[in-house]
Amino acid sequence: MLNILTRGLYKSNPVFRLMLGLCPVLAVSSSVHNAIGMGTAVIFVLVSSNFIVSLIRKMIPRRIRIPIFIMIIATFVTIVDLLMAGFSPLLHKSLGLYIPLIVVNCIILGRVETFASKNKIIFSVADGLGMGFGFTLSLVLIASFREILGNGTWLGMQIFGSKFKPAILMILPPGAFLTIGLLMGLLHWIDHYRTVHKHVHSKAR
Amino acid sequence: MKDIIRFSLILTFVAIISAGSLSWINKITKSEILSQEQKNLTDALMEVLPGSNSQDIIPIQQEGQILYYIGYVNSMRARVNGYALIVESKGYTSTIRTLVGIDTSGTILRIKILFQEETPGLGSRCEEIRNGELIPWWQAQFQNMNINNLAVDKDGGLIQSITGATITSRAITDSIANKTKVFIETMNSAKTDKIDE
Repeated sequence: MLNILTRGLYKSNPVFRLMLGLCPVLAVSSSVHNAIGMGTAVIFVLVSSNFIVSLIRKMIPRRIRIPIFIMIIATFVTIVDLLMAGFSPLLHKSLGLYIPLIVVNCIILGRVETFASKNKIIFSVADGLGMGFGFTLSLVLIASFREILGNGTWLGMQIFGSKFKPAILMILPPGAFLTIGLLMGLLHWIDHYRTVHKHVHSKAR
Repeated sequence: MKDIIRFSLILTFVAIISAGSLSWINKITKSEILSQEQKNLTDALMEVLPGSNSQDIIPIQQEGQILYYIGYVNSMRARVNGYALIVESKGYTSTIRTLVGIDTSGTILRIKILFQEETPGLGSRCEEIRNGELIPWWQAQFQNMNINNLAVDKDGGLIQSITGATITSRAITDSIANKTKVFIETMNSAKTDKIDE
């Protein structure tokens, strides 16, 4: 149970490990504020769809599962869109463009298909939470790099003095590719280092 | 054959449930969204016509469409504080709607961008608020500008364009200049018409 909750954060992080949903990651990671908003929306949609799909998993005929999944996901995305427009207009203003993208975000369809449609409700909700938080965390991490380097701010707060000349490239699309690539490389390098280290250790024994 | 009917029935059932829950959510958020938009506009009007209260700003309509707003100095509605009009401009990725407040002599009081979906981090910085500032720095430049010499720096004007977003800056600036000029001219000719009568 705990494993299901935490594996989304590092071990099978949706962005860096499963490499799912990279398209919205590229688009919304230009500022930390947007990253948090998008992450929250994804957590909500992911948990809700996982819950519903797991609830009715035995009633869905295998052959038409995909259209049903998409219908359920689209419903929750529209709910988020409407609720946000009504109760958090500021957030809706900056995320309005990206909310509809969640429908085709492969993290959600991926988790619904590979996990929620085969597992009990409680595990599915835990999986949704874990994966959702993992997604948000990676998004915030990438956005932090890009916002600090590209705009000199973090969550809107000025970090450097007025003499700092931000590298605009970092908040442009190429900055997203660079940041994601470098962070992914770093994670793999850490993994590699660890396995090699372990190997040496066990050999010595 | 049997499968087709069964599958259609299941899909229809799921669709009905989805549609039902969506219409319910739509119902409870609709009024909220509308009042939110109304509140935004009222706030914006008060911002671009400093000195006028919300009840002293009157929309002037023609055939059900709002042409512009008149802001009076007080509830007596005798002295005009300024006018506000909505200007649309084709930006880089979206149609930008800006509310412009001008006084009777053709000086800009304030501008306020109502809607834009420009590139995040570039064009969208026209709404960026820097530390400790009350209004977005880019829009603050328009304060007290005369509409006759309104242009971005690349066109020899005084409005500093946003780095990497000259198209957005120019689109907004030029559309404000053009629309307000036409507006002031029609207002002036309307005045002379009245005197002629």
